[in-house]
Amino acid sequence: MSAPESLGKLPKWAMLIDTTKCVGCLACVAACHNQNELPVTEYFNRVEEQEFGRFPNYNRRFLPMQCQHCDNPPCVSVCPTGASYKRSDGIVAIDTRRCIGCKYCILSCPYKARMINKEHGYVHKCSFCAVLLENKTLPACVGTCPTGVRVFGDLNDPNSEISKLAASKKTVQIGKDLNTKSSIYYIIG
Amino acid sequence: MASGFAAGTVSCGAKNGQEAATGIKASADVKKIATQCQGCGANRCGIYVYVKDGRVWKVEGNPRTYNNAGTVCPRGHAYIKELYNPDRIRQPLKRTPEGKYEPISWELAFQEISTKLNLIIMDNGPQSVFWAQYPMANIPLAFRFMHALGSPNTITHGATCFTARNAAFNATCGGLPDNDLKNSRYIILVGRNPAGGVKLQQIKDIADAKRQGARLVVLDPRHSETAAIADDWLPIKPATDLAFLLAMLNVIIEQGLYDQRFVSEHTVGFDNLRDGLVTYPPEWAEKICDIPKETIYRVAREFASYKPRALIHRGYHGGYGAGYFNSFQTARAVAILNAAIGNYEAVGGLFIPLKPALGELINGGHPAPNIPDIEKTDGAGVPGRYPSASYSDGIVHAVPELALSGKLKAGFVYHMNPVRTNPNPTRVIAGYKKLELLVTIDCVMSETAAASHYVLPESFFLERDDHVDTVHSGPVGQLTMVQQVVKPMYDTKPMLEIITGLSKGLGIGKYFNFTMDECNTLRLQPFGVTLEELKREGVIEVGPRWVEGFKPCKTPSGKIEFYSSQLEKWGLDPMPRWQKPLVSPNPSDKNSFRLIHGKQAIHTHSMTANVPYLMQLSNRYDMIRLWINRQRAEAIGLKDGDTVVVESDVGKGSVKVRLTEGLHPSAVWMPSGYGIFSKYLKTAYGKGINYNDFLNTYFDPAVGHVMSNEIIVRVAKA
Repeated sequence: MSAPESLGKLPKWAMLIDTTKCVGCLACVAACHNQNELPVTEYFNRVEEQEFGRFPNYNRRFLPMQCQHCDNPPCVSVCPTGASYKRSDGIVAIDTRRCIGCKYCILSCPYKARMINKEHGYVHKCSFCAVLLENKTLPACVGTCPTGVRVFGDLNDPNSEISKLAASKKTVQIGKDLNTKSSIYYIIG
Repeated sequence: MASGFAAGTVSCGAKNGQEAATGIKASADVKKIATQCQGCGANRCGIYVYVKDGRVWKVEGNPRTYNNAGTVCPRGHAYIKELYNPDRIRQPLKRTPEGKYEPISWELAFQEISTKLNLIIMDNGPQSVFWAQYPMANIPLAFRFMHALGSPNTITHGATCFTARNAAFNATCGGLPDNDLKNSRYIILVGRNPAGGVKLQQIKDIADAKRQGARLVVLDPRHSETAAIADDWLPIKPATDLAFLLAMLNVIIEQGLYDQRFVSEHTVGFDNLRDGLVTYPPEWAEKICDIPKETIYRVAREFASYKPRALIHRGYHGGYGAGYFNSFQTARAVAILNAAIGNYEAVGGLFIPLKPALGELINGGHPAPNIPDIEKTDGAGVPGRYPSASYSDGIVHAVPELALSGKLKAGFVYHMNPVRTNPNPTRVIAGYKKLELLVTIDCVMSETAAASHYVLPESFFLERDDHVDTVHSGPVGQLTMVQQVVKPMYDTKPMLEIITGLSKGLGIGKYFNFTMDECNTLRLQPFGVTLEELKREGVIEVGPRWVEGFKPCKTPSGKIEFYSSQLEKWGLDPMPRWQKPLVSPNPSDKNSFRLIHGKQAIHTHSMTANVPYLMQLSNRYDMIRLWINRQRAEAIGLKDGDTVVVESDVGKGSVKVRLTEGLHPSAVWMPSGYGIFSKYLKTAYGKGINYNDFLNTYFDPAVGHVMSNEIIVRVAKA
């Protein structure tokens, strides 16, 4: 089954993450946790920390990571039941009623973006807050960010902020060599 | 924000198909209520709390409140769940002779406490009573209560946090300015880390300024989280910021880079300052602070070149709030450097925030108690003792000594935990245990609560109304408040009801003859705003609005005082000059380090370590570690993740290390939110250690602050 398409014209949801603005505060992680009502130990997004150089010429970078909503998603190809599927708006979704908890998708995801829900046994992950999008509200991680690291929007709308940023800035897709065709674009300083 | 999206639309849960697709439970009833966050107490961010089927669900930022502008930090998201923490206190408690806590009724607790307090005041006078609290919206109640009793001893945590900074700015420009970061072109942070000691508006404004091309310089022994987005990280040797700043001043004055018109019109003491600075060129400073002289010249010139749209952040705790013997004069140098480039009350500089004048209870016919005409027992603001310390902050870590010497006999502690957050807990416990009456008002059994005779549970912030508040006033005056989101879960009371209950048996009931609604309605009276409007909107702008242009200072001269005759009168340096730190690591001991500390964005003081989700983040991100410079660590045989024993002449403890290139070699850095030892706080108990375990009891001569980075420790493999 596919989720109802109530957004009118077809969007293509995408996110831009500008790591040059990230201070690693974890507000996005905590906001996601509440929005999705997760158990204390489970999470859909994380922030990785990378260090460079030697004292005193040192720097570090914070790299927010989550489901990349790939256009060529390995998790969907390996799913034996069709529980993981690609929506027409670009979101990689999970029909938890079909999920048998085999974890193939967890193993296949190069971004380590999926986890088992311990209580129900199904796999879950970032949905770009599809429920909020229905109400024209931004994903929880986007709105809470104090430095504006994340820009969310519709790549099919040439006037959207994300379309402009993606066109004007030098962005990268993480794991491009894996041909996942991810929907999250990064600016890496 | 992407067009077409609204932050703050009520989401009524998922439809059937999506429930399966997203894992989010369908729900019929979602309410969205405006209130103020209490996850740190300092920022009191405007938030909307979502309640789903009667259960608190999530938080969104109020887009119009100054301190957070629509965003929420991780503590804000997580702290709402503290409502459901099983460790909450569910009814008033009384300590038994065996040291256990037993339930007691509110009526009996009020009766017993007021009877004891009456006897103590009769025998020792009202100055033997103190009230210590974190300075939150309800502070007027504490002043009212203490003044009604005749005691001047209302105390905040300030002496452990920011009093050196406040006093220095008071002496220089007669108030504590805010920073117009958003419009600044060149921003210097001296030990300030708004991404760790989170102030959302500051970090947002810095990001916005950088987007407009501003440069950001971070002067910090540690590569702070803010340094991650800085143009320059200057890893200064801790305790020597003053040398760097004096050299900057030296360059700016010697080379005539200052704002000559501003200095001649709006400052006093420039000639004295210039004469006093000749001995502090960058060539001198580099040997002390480990920043090359070329860098000091460059930063000084760049800073001055953007005048007046450049600023050195006014600072907070880090750097010079209460850290070092020289913190007061370091803060003076920061204030003076800002004035030297004429940025006071200028766009992109510093400005005194405009607070709306709230209506008062007396306007409703409620009598106001007189301010007691006696000196504060801790000596704050008393000539000959700590003259430049503030009356309203007091000196909190003086309480144990004053208790041991019998000068203080009874105390109330409200939303504060001095037993954990003051230096040398052994001493603090000994002092607090000596009190004849200690009453803690809190939501959980903190270390201080666990040393108290009575513990009175306040309703959680989501369960109560607090005072209408002006904390969000910056460039324009704003009103906000904590309002009730859900009904109290347990037998708890809001602050006003607790104080009112106590006041009856103390003969001061006439001062507490009002409800919170009545008090708040009176506070709103001058603005033509109703309580209902404020509760619906969460924030209302009432002015006044800041306009550019110098205003007379609240200093003796009415100008900015480079040279302060007031300080001279008090026997303090009238101008900043170099002062060595109180203690320094032993250069011939490979294991000797200065212990410095700082905040992580996920924790506040000692109050959030017991929030299960935040402690989970600490563990998942391996954040309970002592930072140590990699080369220094390897020289003493340490690998990343090793456990070390840390020892000072006060305390000893063990912790894991994080080896990093991002820290000055002379220091080790400890995150400040851990080391909970109250066995009642089951999530946090025993996790990590705290810098206060290693800190001697010091009182700096100017304001009596703790000098919390004047700690030398030995670090060795466990």
